Amino acid sequence: MQKFWDILCGRSNERLEDLYSASAIVFTGKAKRSERGALAAVRRMRQFAAGEWTTTAELDPIEVQIAGDVAIASYTYRFHSSKTGKDGSREHRNTLFGRSTQIFQRDERGALRIVHEHLSSAAPPAVEKAKG
Amino acid sequence: MGTTSAEEVRALVEKFWGFFIRKSKSEFDEMYSPSATVFAADARRGEPARLMLVRRARELFGPASAVGAKLDAIDVQILRGDLAVASYAFHFNVTRNLPNGKRVSVDVPFGRATQVFQRDANGNLRIIHEHMSSAAPVSPKELPAAGRD
Repeated sequence: MQKFWDILCGRSNERLEDLYSASAIVFTGKAKRSERGALAAVRRMRQFAAGEWTTTAELDPIEVQIAGDVAIASYTYRFHSSKTGKDGSREHRNTLFGRSTQIFQRDERGALRIVHEHLSSAAPPAVEKAKG
Repeated sequence: MGTTSAEEVRALVEKFWGFFIRKSKSEFDEMYSPSATVFAADARRGEPARLMLVRRARELFGPASAVGAKLDAIDVQILRGDLAVASYAFHFNVTRNLPNGKRVSVDVPFGRATQVFQRDANGNLRIIHEHMSSAAPVSPKELPAAGRD
């Protein structure tokens, strides 16, 4: 899980999509429908790797339920992102009440991969905009 | 400990919403493992299912409350013989009385659900974790007052 947030916040060069099982299903923050984990991961990486976004996350204590080779991690988090526009303007988005369920399962090589993920927010993110 | 099929899980999800809509409290409560954890749609924290069930019974299962739901296609991932994940989008609406006497209607057109089922010692599939959310902000709409529940 730490690896997931390290990649998302630019603290690791690993590929986000490698954390997901090929058949993973995810609900991202605002999506109306679920989608394949690998697709969502590639899109997220593209958004954040474009370089304009800086992101940080703070996680609350993580509850883990274990069932054989499956682990269900659930926790709340805060996610902060900032983007600088071409005109120098800045946009800050603060997700203060993020909620995460990530279900991991060991693959045939023994690596834990995300097989299901549901990220949501109990309140819309606070958005601040500042002119450049 | 039998194997689990996608059809069995889909049928359980349909049953879950049937109990919810008909306010069949005891059958609804039975869907959850005693140690289940949940993220309710509007909750800022996770909580034990037993707490959510008390609140849901108080707020949504009274005589003046009415719940409706329409489910989209249900994805089922069978992770082990005794463990499955159901995920789906749904349209949910509820009308109920608030403690202050106001009557409100809440429409959630873009609900999203993840429910993790595990077979218990008696062979029954029960929810061990649930995450409900809305893809769009939801605000209650006040209705003309009616009788209290």
